[in-house]
Amino acid sequence: MAVRVDYIAKETANNIIRNPSLSIATVLTVAVSLALLGAALVIQQGVSGLQTRFKDDVEFIIWLNNDASDEQIATVDRALDESPLVKDRNFINREQTFAEFEQYFSESPEVLAAVTPEDLPTSFRVVPVNPELSVVEQLGDQFRPLPGVRQVDFAGDYIRRLNQFSSAASITMTVAALASGLASSLLMYNTIRTALFARRREVEVMRLVGATNWFIRIPFMLEGLLQGLVGAAFSAGAVLALNEVVGDAVRGADFRLFDSFALDSGQLWVITGILLAAGALIGAAGSGVAVSRYLEA
Amino acid sequence: MIKLENVTKEYKGSSIALKDANAEISKGEFVFLVGPSGSGKSTFLRLLNKQEVADSGRVLVNGKDVGDLHPWKVPLLRRQIGCVFQDFKLLPSRTVRENVSFALEVIGKPKHIIETQVPAICELVGLGDKIDKYPHQLSGGEQQRVSIARAFVNRPVILLADEPTGNLDPQTANGIMWLLDRINRSANTTVVMATHDRGIVDTMRRRVIELSHGSIVRDQSRGVYD
Repeated sequence: MAVRVDYIAKETANNIIRNPSLSIATVLTVAVSLALLGAALVIQQGVSGLQTRFKDDVEFIIWLNNDASDEQIATVDRALDESPLVKDRNFINREQTFAEFEQYFSESPEVLAAVTPEDLPTSFRVVPVNPELSVVEQLGDQFRPLPGVRQVDFAGDYIRRLNQFSSAASITMTVAALASGLASSLLMYNTIRTALFARRREVEVMRLVGATNWFIRIPFMLEGLLQGLVGAAFSAGAVLALNEVVGDAVRGADFRLFDSFALDSGQLWVITGILLAAGALIGAAGSGVAVSRYLEA
Repeated sequence: MIKLENVTKEYKGSSIALKDANAEISKGEFVFLVGPSGSGKSTFLRLLNKQEVADSGRVLVNGKDVGDLHPWKVPLLRRQIGCVFQDFKLLPSRTVRENVSFALEVIGKPKHIIETQVPAICELVGLGDKIDKYPHQLSGGEQQRVSIARAFVNRPVILLADEPTGNLDPQTANGIMWLLDRINRSANTTVVMATHDRGIVDTMRRRVIELSHGSIVRDQSRGVYD
């Protein structure tokens, strides 16, 4: 068996060295297509994290004027209390708002220094009975004309728009990943066919002296597998770098909302695993088909 | 050892290669296949190690119907059949030793066997002193000896030779024939050789099967070319 391992390692290395430009092209195509797949996975993870985060949270916010009187606030509170469509409400006073504000801007002390609790508005965070967006919007609009109300914001609206955007982005990237995945499989197929052609005399002799098809196949499939895995490793690197950039941007942002887009290491391991598996699959499948077709011909 | 029963083989778009051929070759026989180009000699040989499959009839090697052989068993058949060609089919980037070793490596023979068998067989074919030369450093006759060493190193029971002397001058050709004769006699290896070489056939006086347009027209023991 020692001979076999020697032999296979030697042949695989020879194949790759013999045609470096084609090997590099194959690795790069695999890397690009898997990087797209990786980006799509990152977005999906981020969005699903975002959805869990907001499932049980505030559905809309009634912002009150800074100079709203206690009476006006009490009126709004009573209206909310009386509405059968409101499940829960929570008054956020200036101190609480400031505490959140401090948290948001913890990395920007100059902003914090310029703001006191008195500068900030108070608000009601309202959880409606029916979380459906159109119902929530209708409900929210009822409170807009009340005295002392400055603005009504719908969290769901933002989430919906974000959702639409990110699912569109994710679909686009998945389609692009599939198309370029197909392209890299075909390129892989051609690379291995070229390798087979370059070694057609060896393959002919192997067949004549009774080498099994698997024995002939293994160095070529290993070549494809290796190229697929190297490409996948590059794409995983790209995803990690992307995650760093996104993570920095998210941490610098005003909202905690997008935190879920900075993936934790567990999620990154899963994505890396998926990319490596996809790279191995592209490599083994493309080269396997090429060798099988060659040997059958 | 080898038996053809009503074997017919036709290639698409060309004339018939083998038509209702019947022949039986025993173990240890030395058989010449003669006939003009395109008479079916190569097809005859290629059917024996399943490089081709007969359209009808049966090809039996070692009592087994080659046509019915499972694809995964074909390599095992080929390990019993050595092949020698007019154009040698040596690998130019490998030395004599590596060319011969290759045949054993790719069927998974252990290293210690390769290391003892390969020098021995190279010695046998008279290339002991050229074992680390490359094919382009050798004469045509020497290259054919390498190819015979490669075909014989795994001790096959059958050796097929397709015009092995076709590219060689008569004196060199005689050397190759001497080697094939020795392999046939000493190891009791069945040799089937397609040839155009009248001189060789007439000198050796072994069994001759003559083909014409795909049909066997003569089968003669201790025969001559025509």
